[in-house]
Amino acid sequence: MVRVLLSIFFLNNLFGSSQDPTYLVFNHFDREIPDAEKLLIENFNDSKFEFDASIKDIFSDLDSYDNPASSHMEMIKGLGEQYKVNFILLNKIEHKEDRFILDGLLFNTRSGGLIHRRKINLKHYLNGQINELVMWVGKTLGIQQQEWQENRESILFSDPESISYEKTPMGAAIRSLIAPGWGQAYSDKKVSAGVWFGVEASLSLAFILSYLNYDKSAKGFLSNSVLYNDTDDEKLVAKYRSLAEKDWDNHIIYSRLAIVLASATGTGWVSNSIHAWIFGPRPYTNIYQEWDNSSKSNKG
Amino acid sequence: MKHFNKILFIPLLCSILIGQIKLDVSTIPKRVDVYLDGVNLGRSPILNERIKPGLHKFEIKKSGFAPLSYDLLVNPAQAIKLDFFLNPIYKIKFKTEEKGLVFELNGEHRWDVPYVRLELEAGDHSLRVFKIGEIIDEQIIRVDEPKRFNYYLKKPLTLN
Repeated sequence: MVRVLLSIFFLNNLFGSSQDPTYLVFNHFDREIPDAEKLLIENFNDSKFEFDASIKDIFSDLDSYDNPASSHMEMIKGLGEQYKVNFILLNKIEHKEDRFILDGLLFNTRSGGLIHRRKINLKHYLNGQINELVMWVGKTLGIQQQEWQENRESILFSDPESISYEKTPMGAAIRSLIAPGWGQAYSDKKVSAGVWFGVEASLSLAFILSYLNYDKSAKGFLSNSVLYNDTDDEKLVAKYRSLAEKDWDNHIIYSRLAIVLASATGTGWVSNSIHAWIFGPRPYTNIYQEWDNSSKSNKG
Repeated sequence: MKHFNKILFIPLLCSILIGQIKLDVSTIPKRVDVYLDGVNLGRSPILNERIKPGLHKFEIKKSGFAPLSYDLLVNPAQAIKLDFFLNPIYKIKFKTEEKGLVFELNGEHRWDVPYVRLELEAGDHSLRVFKIGEIIDEQIIRVDEPKRFNYYLKKPLTLN
């Protein structure tokens, strides 16, 4: 059963002047919208409201007429004289499944003609009917609030370019470049983070040890070379020569090892960053079969 | 001859202006190309354009959003104001590790490979899953951002 709510309100003295236009407003809702009247009064508190439920025929389907703009001229003129108003505003809200349709009409009582029409078909959103109603009424009165617009836009899907994610693959890559494993930890991949950190820490430690040994061998070779040159003692010459040769061999081995380990550490570091980017945080949804697997259906 | 031209021009101008209706077009998002009967009116918001009564076709196009086409019968009036809401298109990846499945989206797009990239309009889409020619699942998936969907079959419970 369609419930009809007709509310009539006069919007007098909009700008504190008796010569400002006056409006007679009819609200026709197919189901009750809680606090609609109260919220209209609150949003347009400069206006004076009165309510009446005696006129229904005016809401018949305008589109069925050959000329909708002039289909109710005599009635509109008559109402204008009766209520002493300049304009008549008709608001109709119908609900269809998960959507609602607002049909708004603004008539001039002097000519009796339709001067503005607004038909909006939107999916339900929180207080959507009220928000759309105040937006339409506000538009006819020249009043628009940013809050109403933002409320409406909140139901729309985001522009792909304006979507910003809290965590991104690039964020993970940068973190892993700063500290190996950090990007993986940022992506909630704890095991992977631990493995990368352990491998990189081991390689770095091995490189540092190799470098220290290389440095020690190089310095040992130089000092033994000096001692070898400064002595004439046969035994000491043989000893320093042996030590210097050993240091030389060690310095070559540790040098090569340090280069290999440095390369491995650097390559691993970059690989770890690339890994963090590839397996970085990206939005996903898991879909599981809804139908029962055990009972086969021929539906479809 | 000049006077003759003026005499012709004024009634012609009047005939063009009289009967035309003021047209405003707003869109969400803004700065969208608006076409009226195939003619580009510029980028939204369109203000103080003129339109003749009768049947007209509006086309709204913006990269990254589903194009919109709207036929409108314009009745004689003082002004007409149109608001259009454009629906974004998101890049979607669809992946499954299950074997032998055929997927169908919205009854028109079909694929049987384990990984596909799709461009889908934001909103609800109908997904149907077939195995050996028999439908085994049907559900609505909601596309609300660029993302990847992973599809899994429901495994039967093995009770000892």
